[in-house]
Amino acid sequence: MIEKKQLSEDKLLEKVTTTEYKYGFTTDIESDTIPKGLSEDVVRIISAKKNEPQWMLDYRLKAYKAWIEMEEPEWANVSYAKPNYQDIIYYSAPKQKPVLDSLDDLDPEMKKMFDKLGISINEQNKLANVAVDIVMDSVSVATSFKEKLGDLGIIFCSISDAIQDHPKLVKKYLGTVVPARDNFFSALNSAVFSDGSFCYIPKGIKCPMELSTYFRINEAGTGQFERTLLIADEGSQVSYLEGCTAPMRDENQLHAAVVELIAMDDADIKYSTVQNWYPGNAEGVGGVFNFVTKRGICYKNAKISWTQVETGSAVTWKYPSCILKGDNSIGEFFSVAVTNNFQQADTGTKMIHLGKNTKSTIIAKGISAGKSNGNYRGLVRIAKGATNSRNFSQCDSLLMGDKCGSHTFPYIEVKNNSSKIEHEATTSKIGEDQLFYCNQRGIGTEQAITLIVNGYCKDVLNQLPMEFAVEAQKLLEISLEGSVG
Amino acid sequence: MLKINNLKAGIEDNQILKGINLEIKTGQVHAIMGPNGSGKSTLASVIAGKEEYEVEGGEIDFEGTDLLDLSPEERAHKGVFLSFQYPVEIPGISVSNFIKTSINERRKAAGLDPMPAKELLRKLREKMELLSIKKGYLSRNMNDGFSGGEKKRNEIFQMAILEPKLSILDETDSGLDIDALRIVANGVNKLRSEDNATIVITHYQRLLDYIVPDFVHVLHNGRIIKSGGKELAHELEEKGYDWITKEADKKWD
Amino acid sequence: MGLIENLKSYTEGINLSSDKKELLDSFLTKGFPSIKDEEWKYTSLRKVVKNDFKIDESSFDISENEIENYSLNLVDRILFVNGNLISKPSIKGVTISNFSEGNITNNTEMSSLNSALAKKGFTISVDKNIVVENPIEILFFTNSETDNFQQYRNQISVGENAEIKFVERIQNLNKSKCFVNHFTQINVAKNAKIEYNKIQNNTNNSTLIDTLNVFQESDTNCCVNTLIFGGELTRNNLNFEQNGTNCDSNMNGVSVLDDNQIADNHTFVDHKQAHCRSNEMYKGIYLGDSKGVFNGKIMVRQDAQKIDAFQSNNNLLLSETSTIDSKPQLEIYADDVKCSHGCTIGQLDEDALFYMRSRGIGVEEAKAVLTYAFASEAIENISVEEVKLLAQKLLAKKLNVDLDFSL
Repeated sequence: MIEKKQLSEDKLLEKVTTTEYKYGFTTDIESDTIPKGLSEDVVRIISAKKNEPQWMLDYRLKAYKAWIEMEEPEWANVSYAKPNYQDIIYYSAPKQKPVLDSLDDLDPEMKKMFDKLGISINEQNKLANVAVDIVMDSVSVATSFKEKLGDLGIIFCSISDAIQDHPKLVKKYLGTVVPARDNFFSALNSAVFSDGSFCYIPKGIKCPMELSTYFRINEAGTGQFERTLLIADEGSQVSYLEGCTAPMRDENQLHAAVVELIAMDDADIKYSTVQNWYPGNAEGVGGVFNFVTKRGICYKNAKISWTQVETGSAVTWKYPSCILKGDNSIGEFFSVAVTNNFQQADTGTKMIHLGKNTKSTIIAKGISAGKSNGNYRGLVRIAKGATNSRNFSQCDSLLMGDKCGSHTFPYIEVKNNSSKIEHEATTSKIGEDQLFYCNQRGIGTEQAITLIVNGYCKDVLNQLPMEFAVEAQKLLEISLEGSVG
Repeated sequence: MLKINNLKAGIEDNQILKGINLEIKTGQVHAIMGPNGSGKSTLASVIAGKEEYEVEGGEIDFEGTDLLDLSPEERAHKGVFLSFQYPVEIPGISVSNFIKTSINERRKAAGLDPMPAKELLRKLREKMELLSIKKGYLSRNMNDGFSGGEKKRNEIFQMAILEPKLSILDETDSGLDIDALRIVANGVNKLRSEDNATIVITHYQRLLDYIVPDFVHVLHNGRIIKSGGKELAHELEEKGYDWITKEADKKWD
Repeated sequence: MGLIENLKSYTEGINLSSDKKELLDSFLTKGFPSIKDEEWKYTSLRKVVKNDFKIDESSFDISENEIENYSLNLVDRILFVNGNLISKPSIKGVTISNFSEGNITNNTEMSSLNSALAKKGFTISVDKNIVVENPIEILFFTNSETDNFQQYRNQISVGENAEIKFVERIQNLNKSKCFVNHFTQINVAKNAKIEYNKIQNNTNNSTLIDTLNVFQESDTNCCVNTLIFGGELTRNNLNFEQNGTNCDSNMNGVSVLDDNQIADNHTFVDHKQAHCRSNEMYKGIYLGDSKGVFNGKIMVRQDAQKIDAFQSNNNLLLSETSTIDSKPQLEIYADDVKCSHGCTIGQLDEDALFYMRSRGIGVEEAKAVLTYAFASEAIENISVEEVKLLAQKLLAKKLNVDLDFSL
């Protein structure tokens, strides 16, 4: 009997390791690509190709100079062969561009790709609640609903367009939350970013629909360095979602994005990510290096809520953070991070409490399977002046199989004695009794695991906008198929 | 329907069931009684297929198949239902979601399409009424934060919906107050038919006033040492177990 | 001159074996750990090591009276003054002797330095099957007119099935500054049991870095209790290595600090074998400008299945200028485990305070009672009654109330 059980587990494990990455197709689109390597000239070329003003070029050059002085960080609990930064193509744009009057004008190849991604733009168009910006390789290729949003004064466009059309806003805010020299990857991004999304919500406006960006790496040998800047002016509200996919390739592709959020007084930003970059194959070959800096600043009474479902990438290094500068501001972080096969994730958040009565909540759920390693790394800092601030953190890890690892590294620094901090962390596996109970009700082990994992992640999945919660759930299922504990 | 033949099973070298023989026909209710540690719950778990128990010998024939060859979910698909003594909590999963999955997995095994949402909903409502279950219950998480009584009622609710052929109620009455007991027993009685059968495992004769068994078996030290009609339960209530167990101990020593 | 310079000139004149020389050279090259070092992120030695500590200090006498002041007056007592073994008890089956060379340890800078130069301390071995009923008190006094740096190096081996308890205290009797780099290794053989209590209530001109490494074989039970009530800077490195199955590692800590005191508790439990447990409870109470640091790491190695590891770190900030940095960590490589940690930082419950005051209890007393209640969970785990009583007494003293918590 035991032998039989073992056999079926092996079978299931085999199945999971052979579960194909659903999004691993490449699209044959002609693209405008510059030679690989990084130098001051390359930075200039990128800026010139985008027809940027001098201040933008200066910003990039300054960042580049900072970057060459910096060293790639090693403190995260991940190990990988460092990319050769001279072997990466820093700019690749689909040739057909730049201006599309209508989404119907899209290259049919590209349209096909969007269908495969599950974001049929036509359908989305009808589904009146989501406006989509699509960034392929490094360039924004399609933005929908521009006009409708424009009526409300909302600006939602590619960051390249914003640099051209709204230079004052970009100049005022770019790099204010994540300075170029913040870290190695933010410096790199600041020097070479080629596109990304820009969003501005005017005072008092509630954005009537979900804003969404899909990122896709397509061209071989390219790095993707997108830049997102989102400004919610006083009293405004917005919910923003990004999704990411990449083709299956043997080499590791680099993705080093920077996201900056600015929530002015009384503003409310909800930022959700479903990250599904190619994780590499079952032997750990290939996959995306996902080194991302995301940070938001909250002014008085403002709120920033980060939700992330991380299932992809070979290596993830990502800490969406909140600087709670204004009194009564709120920061939230809800995360599900799944690792399988040889994936490694080092992810978490930083909550920096500066203002009075600031509150933060952290719910992080890690799931490790196969030979993967998942890490939660978080910082809660209560500054001297952050009177009456509160933090609650809950970090849970679920292990599936005896060859994976799950680790928790919280940092808690408190300099104010009226603050209350509660941090809890647990590590466990799916209970045998839970599995048997499900089995007894006729639910097979694999299905039971999906069910239990979904329940385990519910607090986080509930935070996602309806349209994407289902997608995220499916993703979880695919990522964990058959990984029996 | 069910024929258990010289079943021996245990856990980590410790034999608990030492040769169980039991035959149950459709339409019947069998009660299994016995003192603590006699092997009642082990018997229930082994029938349902809990893997931590090692089966050392014997067979469990269920409508022509040996259950011992099947996985727990396959047994469930065949119509075996165990009402757990300690129902398990599954945080984050609603009762309705759990039941839906359970039904559809069974249907899938039988080559059927998933149950249409409308039909499912109608069925859930109907059974909720049967068991006097309040609204809002379906969206609660599986047994999470349930009281002891609620957990047991949840088991019978699932039984009502899944319509098993063989139901095993493992100490379903323990921890229930008299009102809850009546509701649960009433539910079980309404679900009784000529096509199904029930095994009631209990400590107390009290439950058997409500669910009247056709046969009563006394389990002791891993063996059925006495079988009789419902009057045996009354006799046990009056005299305790000693009078039979002593005799049995002599016989087996 | 700073300590590094003094160490350099002190060691110029002495002969060291080649492996010790290597340790020393590596230490002198790297220097004392700094806040850039992840393990010292929150505790800076910069100021301390600037002091002109002398390595070779002159001996002073010590009066019986002074000893009584700091002693629990247990029956069995080991007494060191300025590192010299003055007296020791005689206990059947227990061999107590002066310092002996042990294994080299070089896992941290401080233990390298200790390995290279320490020449003082004790060696205790407990024979098989010996159960020592009375706890043994170990007192280290320093009494020097000059600022001085001391290094003690101790070893305890507990034989199979043996049981023993210790209470240790390191005390500076002089107004001059004292910096002690203390190192103890405990080896626990199968089925043995040990409880080690540390009372750290030194003067406000004393620095202590205390490293305690415990190596456990199968079926052992080890408990280390750390009570910090004084000292300018106290750093504990408490490491457990479980090398057999069915081990228990227990840690309890109570820190009650005021003024500018800093207490840094670093703990590490290395679960290398299956079916083991660890239980850790640290309570911190901070007054004045004091600063607390907690860094607890639980590691479960691959194949070390069925581990139950529990860690909690609770802190009360009772003054406006006190601070706490806490870093509880889990590193888990086996799946069938139950591990958790919890960390809280907060204040006394205002409602409870009001309730007590409405019953006629004064504010300070009410606060003290609630504070004691907060710490009591950890104190209650101490089995040596005298230590428990002392902890209660010191807590009351630190909180400035005349209350008896022992009831």
